[in-house]
Amino acid sequence: MRMLVVEDEAALRNQLAVHLKSQGFAVDCASDGEEGLYFGREYDYEVAVIDLGLPKLDGLALIAQLRAEQRGFPILVLTARGHWQDKVQGLEAGADDYLAKPFQMEELMARLNALIRRTAGYASPVLCQGALQLDTSKKEVRVADISVELTAFEYRVLEYLMLNPDRVVSKIELTDHLYDQDYDRDSNVIEVFMGRLRKKIAPVDLIRTVRGQGYRFLTDAGD
Amino acid sequence: MKHSIQARLLLTTTFVLVVFLTLTAGALDRAFRASVVAGAEEQLRLVIYSLMGSVQQEAGQLTFSQGISEPRLTQPDSGLYAQVANDLGSVVWLSPSALTTDVNFPRGYSAPGLFEFSEIDALIPRFQLSYTVIWEGVDAEYVVFSAVTDQRPYRVAIAEFRRSLGLGLGVAMLLFILVQFLALRWGLKPLRMMAAEVHELEMGRRESLSQRYPKELLGLALNLDHFIVHEQRTRARYRYALDDLAHSLKTPLAVVRNSLSDSSENSLLVSEQLERMETTVLHQLSKASAGGPVMGGKTIVLRTVIERLLRALQTAYVDRGVHVERQLPADLVIRGDERDIMEIVGNLLENAFKYSRGAVRVEVSSVEGGALKAQIVVEDDGPGIPRALRDEVVRRGKRLDEIEAGQGIGLAVVVELVALYNGSLDISDSRLLGGAKLTVLLP
Repeated sequence: MRMLVVEDEAALRNQLAVHLKSQGFAVDCASDGEEGLYFGREYDYEVAVIDLGLPKLDGLALIAQLRAEQRGFPILVLTARGHWQDKVQGLEAGADDYLAKPFQMEELMARLNALIRRTAGYASPVLCQGALQLDTSKKEVRVADISVELTAFEYRVLEYLMLNPDRVVSKIELTDHLYDQDYDRDSNVIEVFMGRLRKKIAPVDLIRTVRGQGYRFLTDAGD
Repeated sequence: MKHSIQARLLLTTTFVLVVFLTLTAGALDRAFRASVVAGAEEQLRLVIYSLMGSVQQEAGQLTFSQGISEPRLTQPDSGLYAQVANDLGSVVWLSPSALTTDVNFPRGYSAPGLFEFSEIDALIPRFQLSYTVIWEGVDAEYVVFSAVTDQRPYRVAIAEFRRSLGLGLGVAMLLFILVQFLALRWGLKPLRMMAAEVHELEMGRRESLSQRYPKELLGLALNLDHFIVHEQRTRARYRYALDDLAHSLKTPLAVVRNSLSDSSENSLLVSEQLERMETTVLHQLSKASAGGPVMGGKTIVLRTVIERLLRALQTAYVDRGVHVERQLPADLVIRGDERDIMEIVGNLLENAFKYSRGAVRVEVSSVEGGALKAQIVVEDDGPGIPRALRDEVVRRGKRLDEIEAGQGIGLAVVVELVALYNGSLDISDSRLLGGAKLTVLLP
C-alpha cells in the first residue's frame, strides 16, 4: 500500500513514516505543500495524510489542487486547530476524512484502512470474496473460515489485489505500491510470491494472470 | 421619562416658560388695572373741575348755571353721579343722574384743597372722589364736591383685558413649547441616529458608524468606530495567538504520545499525564479562543452552516449511510461568531452521526418571545445519553478533563459555548427516533 504523508513537523513526520512502514505501507514523505503536490502529481497512492498547516502551499490549497488535477486517492486531513471550520473547509476542498491532533496511532490506522476500503467499495473492514475473507484490521486471512498463514508481503499483495478488483494490476504497479522506492524491481520475485500465494489460498482461485500485463483479481460479480 | 434627554429638556423649559409667563401676566394685569383706576380718577376729577367752574355765588348762596358739560350727569342712572354739599351736611346740588339712584356720597369733609379718592366695594362697586374747598363769602364755608362713578364698566374692561392677555400668552406658550419640541427633536436627531446605528451594528446589519454626525458627536462616532475595529482586531489577534499556541503544543504532544510504544508502568504513567495535558490544551485553549457574542458580528444563516456541516459529515461518515431528515427554514438567522456556531452545531451533529444507526434528524425553528430566538434540535436513533452523563455535562462548570471521553468532549464544548451566548442546552430522549435528543436555544 503506497501512501503519502505531508507534514511539516519533522518529528511527527518521521514517527508517522516509521509507524506506517511497520504497518506495511510504502510511505513517501513531504515536508511542505509544494513537495506534497509534486509527489501527488507524480505517483499514485492508496491514501494520503495531509496536515492543514503547511509551509509554501497550505493543506487546503494542496488538496484543492490535487483534486483539480483529477488525483482521486482518498485524503485524510490532520488538523491541529480542531475547529469545525477547518474540518469543514478540508472536506469541502476534497478531503475524505479528518483527524484532530493530537491523535492515537491506532485511530489513524483505523481511519486510513477505512478510507482505503471505502474507496475500493467495501463497507466492512473484512473484505469478502467468495470463501476468501481478509480482515484488514487484524491482518488476517481466512479461507472457508479457516485461518491461513501468510507472510507480510503475501498479505499485502492479496490486500492490494482485493482492493483493486476486476482490474489488471501490473507487476510494476505492485512493486510501486508495495515496496519503498529504492527496492530492486525483479519481476521474477513477484511471480514466485504470486505462485505461493495462490497455493495458500486454494481452493479459492480468484487471481488470474493476464499474460504480459499482470494480474487480475476476480470478484463474484465479474468473470 | 427620566431616561429621555428630550423629555428632561422639554420639562425644564416648559416649567421656566410657565413661571415666566405667569409672572408677566401678573405684572401686566396689575399695570393695566392701575391705569384703569387712574383713568377713572382722572374722569372724576374732570367732573369736579367742571362743577367748580359752573358754581356761582349769589347772596351768600351757591348757585349753578345749568349748562353742565357732562351729559351723563343729567341722564338718570347713567353710572356717573355728582353732588355738592356743605359742611353742615345739606346738599347744595345733586346731579340729575343721581335722582333715581341711591348713591352713597361721602359724608363730612376732608382736608381742604386735597382730592380724596377711594373705591367702594358695595353691592354696586364704585369709585368716588371728593374735594373740599373753603369758599369765602358763603354761609357755610366748607363746600364738598363729590363725584361717584360705577366701577363695573372698568371691571368689564379689566376682565376683557385679562381674557385677551391669557389667550395671547397661552397661545404664545403653546407656540413656544412646540418650537422648543421641534428644536429639541432636531437638535437630538444625531443622538437618535447614533443609537439606531449602534443598534444596527449590534444586529450585524452594519459594520461601522456613518460619518454624518455634527461636530460635537463626530469625535464620539469616530472613537466608537475605532474602538470596535480595535476590539475586533484584538479579538482576532488573540484568537490566532491561542490557535498557534494550541497548534504548536498539539504536535509535540502527538509525537510524545506516539513514541510511548512499550507498556511499562512508567510509560503508562506518562501516557496518563499526557492525556491530561492534551485535554487541558484542547479544552482551555478552545474555550479561551471562543468568540462569544460580538459587537458588529455578522448574521449567520443557520441553514447554510448546517448544510455545510452535513455535507462534510456525509463525506467523513459515508460508510455509515446516515439518512438525515432536515427541517431548515432558509430565513432563520442568528447573530454571533460563525466559528462558534459551527462548533456548537458541528459537535451536536457529529455525535449524532457517530452514535446513530442510520437516522439523524435536525430541525431549526425560531422561538417567539423571550431573549432566545433560535432553537436547534438534533436527534438520532442511537443508544441515547445516559442520565448520569446528562447531568454531568449540562451542569455548568464541569471541566472537560473530568468528563469521560466519548460523547462528553464534544458536548462539554457545546455546553460552554452555549453558556457563553447565554443560551441553553437540554438533553432528552428522542420520541421520534428513539435515541438522544439535544435541544440548543440561542439568542
